[in-house]
Amino acid sequence: MQPLANVTPFKPGSRAGAIQISNVGQVFKTATQDVVALSDVSLDIKPGRFVVLVGPSGCGKSTLLMMLAGLRQQTSGTILINEAPIPQPDPNRVGVIFQEPSLFPWLTAEENVEFPLALRRIPRSDRRAKAVDALKLVGLEGFGKRHPHELSGGMKQRVSIARGLVQDPPVLLMDEPFAALDEQTRMTMGDELLRIWAATGKTVVFVTHSLTEAVYLADEVVVMSARPGRIVDHLTISLPRPRTYEMLGGETFGTLRDRIWRHIRKSA
Amino acid sequence: MAGLGMKAARVAVVVALFAIWEILSRTGIVDPRLLPSASDTLLTLVELLQRAGIRNDLAVTASEVMVAFILAVPCGALIGFAIAENRYFAEVAKPLLFFAFSIPKSIFLPMFILVFGVGFSQKVGFGFFSTIFIVIMSTTTAVESVKVEHLTVARSYGATRLQTAFRVYLPSMLPVLLEALRISMIFNLTGVILAEMYASREGIGHQIATWGENFQMKQLLAGVVMVAVIAMTFNELIRSVETRCSHWRT
Ligand SMILES: Nc1ncnc2c1ncn2[C@@H]1O[C@H](COP(=O)(O)OP(=O)(O)OP(=O)(O)O)[C@@H](O)[C@H]1O
Ligand SMILES: [Mg+2]
Repeated sequence: MQPLANVTPFKPGSRAGAIQISNVGQVFKTATQDVVALSDVSLDIKPGRFVVLVGPSGCGKSTLLMMLAGLRQQTSGTILINEAPIPQPDPNRVGVIFQEPSLFPWLTAEENVEFPLALRRIPRSDRRAKAVDALKLVGLEGFGKRHPHELSGGMKQRVSIARGLVQDPPVLLMDEPFAALDEQTRMTMGDELLRIWAATGKTVVFVTHSLTEAVYLADEVVVMSARPGRIVDHLTISLPRPRTYEMLGGETFGTLRDRIWRHIRKSA
Repeated sequence: MAGLGMKAARVAVVVALFAIWEILSRTGIVDPRLLPSASDTLLTLVELLQRAGIRNDLAVTASEVMVAFILAVPCGALIGFAIAENRYFAEVAKPLLFFAFSIPKSIFLPMFILVFGVGFSQKVGFGFFSTIFIVIMSTTTAVESVKVEHLTVARSYGATRLQTAFRVYLPSMLPVLLEALRISMIFNLTGVILAEMYASREGIGHQIATWGENFQMKQLLAGVVMVAVIAMTFNELIRSVETRCSHWRT
């Protein structure tokens, strides 16, 4: 693989996938006023953890994710991923999966997954092999030749997960990836994601509005409040893995969800 | 997608129209001096196409149309792109373009004659003028049809500007651009032929105008059929490319 100028060399080692957010703030300057989207956010995420961000609408979850992805720069504080700042997007360190599947409709599933590799001028055959592997990992073997409009919502989201995984970045960022899916598909996709996560050992930062989804998926849940966006609680979910459907009705599950809900209601 | 039956029905409609035309003329319901029969018209068409003079007229018109098109499309696309990509430029230029687009272009024809004289450059100039506004406006629409999410995806995977242009902008815009090309050609052809009819010494538009003035109805109708077929062929050609390039647009 050719090294790219704008990509920090990947250091394989124990800190691969570590995220350190220290005193980060984000102020949007608009025509009428300055919007403080985030204020003094600090968060330390250990490699391989599944961290879920929740909070009322407009509390800055997407903004935080954009900064982790290098798509936007914070106005104060520092962000380190693999112990290095992220001044611009670096697909070797961070893969981003967006809410709307955001697949390119003119490309097939395979070509969509290959897209990040094509940008690096990786030979076509290598590219195809990696795309096929990634599609297999998300359970879409044999669907590579289809175009997005020939796939269901859940399948499309699997394709975009495959696209995020294809370069094997240690960190995956997901902004409400399942929000557009129906309840059942959403549950299966959650299980799928946990399976992929367990198989790949990536650090996942996941944003959702569903508290059930948050507790079900997470190692840690980070609760944020709005205006300005701050972290108001940070819970460790000690439920055993693999998570099962039965846990949803359990007492621990309910207690955790209630605690998160009280925070959100207070700050909304 | 039209099935075989649908296509057969379309052919039947065309055949029926020609048949009605033939009957109206033959039976004298419409004065044959005003409406020569379809068969006579088609025979005249074949005869006209064999004349060197007419073939020359067609060649002249075709070259005027092509040159005007080849100049107007890239110029218009460039301006359209600049407008779509530049906030300030867009706010200044967009309403002005809408004003300009709403004016019938034909009222400027006399000015083109004053500036360019009667000849090739006048036809090309007027064809260009008739076409460029629609090209500018369509390109602006095409750029706006590029989804922000797709651009963000490209950026998050570290695409360069050039890669973004070729891998996101171009394929997103292609269906709209092809449609624009097709519609621009209609404007272009109209502009050139109008200019020929108004003042010219050659070109198929000039011939059609002359036949009309001399009450040569057979030739006039044959000319109409000729131009119609040429325009439709071009239109269908682009449309077939369009359907191939935009199968994903559902
Ligand atoms: N480009 C921008 N310019 C100005 N303000 C912005 C911009 N982007 C976001 N904001 C503001 O920053 C705050 C945080 O927005 P953000 O999209 O991060 O919230 P969120 O937590 O993701 O919300 P949701 O749950 O609805 O997706 C909001 O008040 C929003 O209005
Ligand atoms: Mg958001």
